[in-house]
Amino acid sequence: MFGRARLSMSVALLVSVFGSAHAVEAPKEITLGTLYASSGRYASISMPVHYGLKLWMDQKNAEGGVFVKAFNKKIPIKLVAYDDQSNTATAATLYNQLITQDKVDILIADSGSVLTSVAVPIARDNKMFLFDQTGTGAAFFTPDNPYIALMSDPVSTVWPKPLADFITHDGKGLGIKRVAILYSTNDFTGTQANAVRKFIKESGSDIEIVYDQGVPTDTSNYTVLINNIRATNPDAVVHLGYAPNDIAFIRSLEDGGVKFKFLFCIYPGLETELLEKNLGGKALSYIFTYVPSSEISYETNFGMSLREYKEAWNKKYAGVNIEFGFNSVAGYNTGLVIEKALSVADSLEQLDLRKAVFSLSGKLKTLDGTFELDPNGAQLGESTPLGQLITDEHGHVKFVTVWPHEVANGKPVYPRP
Amino acid sequence: MLTYTLLAGFLFGLYFTLIGLGLNLVFGVMRIVNLAHGDFLMLGAFLAFWLFSLFAVNPVPTIPVAFFIFLLAGFPLYYLLVPRLLQAKDPEMLSFILFFGLSQVIQSLATILWGTSERSIPGGQLGRAVAGILSFFTGHKIENGPIEILGQSFPAAWLASGLASGIGAVFVYWYLYRTKLGYLTRAVMVSRDEAIASGIDVHRVSAVAFGIGLGLAAVAGVFAPFMLGSITPAMGSEVTITSFAVIVIGSLGNPLGTILGGLVYGISYMFMQSYYSSWANLLPYLLLIAVLLLRPNGLLGRQARRA
Repeated sequence: MFGRARLSMSVALLVSVFGSAHAVEAPKEITLGTLYASSGRYASISMPVHYGLKLWMDQKNAEGGVFVKAFNKKIPIKLVAYDDQSNTATAATLYNQLITQDKVDILIADSGSVLTSVAVPIARDNKMFLFDQTGTGAAFFTPDNPYIALMSDPVSTVWPKPLADFITHDGKGLGIKRVAILYSTNDFTGTQANAVRKFIKESGSDIEIVYDQGVPTDTSNYTVLINNIRATNPDAVVHLGYAPNDIAFIRSLEDGGVKFKFLFCIYPGLETELLEKNLGGKALSYIFTYVPSSEISYETNFGMSLREYKEAWNKKYAGVNIEFGFNSVAGYNTGLVIEKALSVADSLEQLDLRKAVFSLSGKLKTLDGTFELDPNGAQLGESTPLGQLITDEHGHVKFVTVWPHEVANGKPVYPRP
Repeated sequence: MLTYTLLAGFLFGLYFTLIGLGLNLVFGVMRIVNLAHGDFLMLGAFLAFWLFSLFAVNPVPTIPVAFFIFLLAGFPLYYLLVPRLLQAKDPEMLSFILFFGLSQVIQSLATILWGTSERSIPGGQLGRAVAGILSFFTGHKIENGPIEILGQSFPAAWLASGLASGIGAVFVYWYLYRTKLGYLTRAVMVSRDEAIASGIDVHRVSAVAFGIGLGLAAVAGVFAPFMLGSITPAMGSEVTITSFAVIVIGSLGNPLGTILGGLVYGISYMFMQSYYSSWANLLPYLLLIAVLLLRPNGLLGRQARRA
């Protein structure tokens, strides 16, 4: 009896010793799996994010890797990246491949809500924690899904608050009473449109929404839509679309000689360089937009400052046809969150990674602002004030922040000259 | 609003007529589906963008340049790809695979050359040329900007692309019905075997038709930055699918049926945008299904082609 007990104890000891020795064996590399779109509608928002992430990875690998607390050492990073060509069906297959074939340690979504939307259920079903780079659709973040957190951008349900607040507070004094909303029907801009509507209604102001239409995301011609909006005689027009939508919309306005008194678009702020190249500074003048982290130097407690990052970007990607903008910051920011999370995570288990990421909430300050999550993983920090683009003496656009008042550095120009 | 939508649909439809003309001509003559048609349009668009951004060349002179470059490029490309393809048992089906592959190659090369981001040419560039041309013909100074048509204001580019489309359609008509080569082309369109038996050099005839098809695609490409918002190396696939729907609606193999197909598509699209905007992009497929169910040979059908 005593002998059997001793044998059992010996076996238990051996298992615990060898088992724990096996558990602490560090991997040769930490594998990150992600997708990017080198072509198609989302290429212009995907490639800068991907290049930003790669910049972070190359920088870390040059330093010997990232510090991983679970193994108490620096470990190099390997990036497994596939091209989804902006196609959600292809993306779904490739996300599955990253999880089941490549068995990546960390799963990172492609940029934007459309290509993230297919990753959310796949990650959840496979119990993989999804590092959602810029997919802000509200439906991704639910109490029953612990496998997601948004790295950059406020979730779309709160993102447009500065815009709606400006219209309902300052807009009244300016004479804005009739608002037209045109949006692309996808998780990102659809949610933003819902939020704008909700904020305006909840404000109790007498703002009337006189036009409210959704169009397919691949709409490239807006001439008739603009004519229909004009027929409703709005004081303010809110256009919510991706970069190609904004380019086509603003170009239709320019070519048709139409000037709305107030025009809000998302991407003149988020990808200013790209839109300026396509439309010229004059066409962007007086457009209201978000002022993103690529335009504001936030105080950081981790990673490069905006100025340092922009220098590093320009050095690494000189001659590459990818414009610097908000999305390039977002990709680098994802890297920073991963790096910081690995430095505090107890293991590479997915729920430990989640715990580590959530532990950074409210504490991590990067060039993208303060990283702050709600309990469902939606980003509440990294807010973008409302700004207006003004042309400087060289014909280039610059941002004037107009809302909230505490960060405003100028007055809005209304109506548009 | 109704008049504006109707006129906009007419002009937009004319643009898709221009896109579809070349695709339908190639199908009519060779019975092959050029799935890279939209990619040749994209190359025409980037030619215009490249000439404008590097040498400040206005898109108007680029139109004939693009047409002739792609017309000439069509000859070697035809002899490289098509004769072998036509020897296959089912060239129509194989052409899908071959030209899909060509489309992928063109897209990849274009991505390497120009990157993935959107590119465009300022709208005023085409407007300036249109205003100059209109001033010349009317004798009055016309300002650069939107053009009034029946009391409705449209971007100058829309009028320019409508005119180019009209010229393209007249050119194809003239070529098919007023030139010797056109007669031979129509003979090949009716029956390739009989044309060979009659001693017609079908490869020469087909190569010219192929070149014209590419040339027309390139001309449509010059207008693409103005009509489609912006251009990217990946834009071709979407354009090919829509233009394929347009030519099926009009009548496959009948280049002139493309005019009708384009107008039906353009007008329906603009009405959808006005009244059911969320569903607008379903339209080509809905029209395609409706036409295939009701008139499988297209609105102008086979009889019209042989008339």
